[in-house]
Amino acid sequence: MEVFFQTLVGGLGFGAVYALVAMGFSLVYRTMGLVNFAHGQVVMIGAYAASTFYMSAHVPFFVSIPVAMLVTGLIGLVIERVLRPLENKDFDLMLIGTIGFGMVLESLATITWGATGHAVPSPVDTAPLDLFGIRLRTYSLVVLGIAALATVALVLFLQRTKRGAAMQAVAMDHEAATAVGIHVGRSNAIAFAIGAGLAALAGALVAPMLYVNPTLGGSLGIKGFAAAILGGFGNIPGAIVGGIAIGLLDSYAAGRFQAYSELVVFLVFTVIIMIRPTGLFGERTVNRA
Amino acid sequence: MSTQRTKQLVLSAAALMLAASTACSAPGSTSEDQQDAGGPFKIAVVNAQSGQLSSLGQWEWKGAKLAADQWNAKGGINGRKIELELFDDQGDPTVGTNVARKIASEGFVAMIGTAESAVTVAMIPILQQSKIPNITSGQSPAIAATKSPFAFYNGPTSNTYDETLAKYLVDDKGLKKIALISNNGSYGKGERDAFTKALASRGVTPVDDQVVTTDQKDFSAALTSIRQKEPDVLFVGSEEVEAGLIVKQAKELGINATIAGAAPMGTPVYLQTAGEANAEGTVVSSPYLSNDTDDASKAFAKAYQKAHGEAAELHGAKAHDGANIIFTALKNSKGATGQKLADAIRATKYAGLLGDFTFDESGVGIHATSIGVISSGKLTESAK
Repeated sequence: MEVFFQTLVGGLGFGAVYALVAMGFSLVYRTMGLVNFAHGQVVMIGAYAASTFYMSAHVPFFVSIPVAMLVTGLIGLVIERVLRPLENKDFDLMLIGTIGFGMVLESLATITWGATGHAVPSPVDTAPLDLFGIRLRTYSLVVLGIAALATVALVLFLQRTKRGAAMQAVAMDHEAATAVGIHVGRSNAIAFAIGAGLAALAGALVAPMLYVNPTLGGSLGIKGFAAAILGGFGNIPGAIVGGIAIGLLDSYAAGRFQAYSELVVFLVFTVIIMIRPTGLFGERTVNRA
Repeated sequence: MSTQRTKQLVLSAAALMLAASTACSAPGSTSEDQQDAGGPFKIAVVNAQSGQLSSLGQWEWKGAKLAADQWNAKGGINGRKIELELFDDQGDPTVGTNVARKIASEGFVAMIGTAESAVTVAMIPILQQSKIPNITSGQSPAIAATKSPFAFYNGPTSNTYDETLAKYLVDDKGLKKIALISNNGSYGKGERDAFTKALASRGVTPVDDQVVTTDQKDFSAALTSIRQKEPDVLFVGSEEVEAGLIVKQAKELGINATIAGAAPMGTPVYLQTAGEANAEGTVVSSPYLSNDTDDASKAFAKAYQKAHGEAAELHGAKAHDGANIIFTALKNSKGATGQKLADAIRATKYAGLLGDFTFDESGVGIHATSIGVISSGKLTESAK
């Protein structure tokens, strides 16, 4: 029982990070129909940016996160602007373009910060809470709280604001959206920027839990992508459920199957997708008719 | 008429291709005439320059470069300069085998590296076939198990590290409740096997034996299982970054056991990743505990600091010793290559930073390590 609950806590911590990564993937897919393969690398840039502000410039951690989100938001804007000529015309080329951007980001990170990477001290330095023998890392609780806040903010943005509605309109029918005066390119740029910001948030939060180096985005990106697909690609609540599911699955598989945990996680994922190809909550994306 | 034309075209293209292929040498063969009597000695340094293990690669390169520069400043080997070339194996065995083929076909006389046992084991068959001696920083006994006459260690094997560690923990300190956590990579598996063997020879059975993947991020399940067994010692068999994460999470979960491990625990990367407070009291088995051990290590550390602007540590020292051994063997054998160079390396007796090297048939040169304990962020030799 003790092992069960402790694993649950550990899995939730990383699950929140995967959920944030998955939300970024799903948002871009939902509004633009594009799978952004540079997403994992954007997570890494966010982690580097936040940890550099935190460690070198001594900016308080919870201030360096929004700063990092701004920086990566700008990167998102640049990517979208470069790929804009392909929008709504050739999704496959756009996808390949994002793969290219991913490589560029990884190389830039290696040039700027070196290949070795660095460890980030935990910003919340208190001792773990002891709840009936289960240790709760205070930092994990902070991560869960921030991820929940980000989710609520995103959902409110999409459903309650004009811009959010505009983004959904563009996804439904971009020509009709243009007809009612929505600037499609700008709307997509904002979607990309928010996606990048979410990636940066995930990266910044996960940095003290792991080790920041240019290949950080690889495994987080793959698991985040799997989480987004599991929950239903383009579905925001689905992304959250998928992220938490992957995080929990990862931790429990590690406990039960030890060295074969990765294999088990992706086998389970494959089986679920075979049974329900559109994911747990169904896909939501642009109308490409 | 057009079919005639096409036939001519195809025939001439085939003839051209045939002619072109004869001009290329067969893959993997070494061109003997490239190594002419007066040119510099080309030695390859292969290590991870990217990825999670890249810190090892950087330290190794710096240590080897320092050695090469020191020799070149004194005129090289018998008047011929040493030319080091760095290759990135990305910590990936597949990339490593590609690099091995590249080295074999470009006339390198020897190879320094890699620091990752898995990559070294993958490269050994190709290096053996092309007769290129290789001195590695890896410590997995799997390297000696390949029985290649061209593979040498520039440090002790996991067996030595863990035998010394087990002796200290069980014989000297009387700690019998020992739990293991290791990863399923070549190094981690080597550590687990070696330490379990060393414990078994003392009649000690581990209270828990957990295996994790090299990429794992959350160790809650494994560590909680260990915590329930209430061990005195937690032995960690994985590389620097993962070991640091394991220890950090272990301390957060309230595991108060003494942490013990081999070479990775003596690096600054481990200290920073685990956090100084969590790494306090870690028992480390290492042949190079600190830069202040004796005059030779102080001189080395000073030169390293001057050349590279950072403090030296075990892996830089290992690469420095390894490079020096290759240069000494080249000097003694008057620039021999292939089997003769391998024999010369085996016969080399070298007083290095890690100790006195004497090689045996398995390619191991150092047969002892020391025990240190981390206190206040510094690794100091333990009081016996």
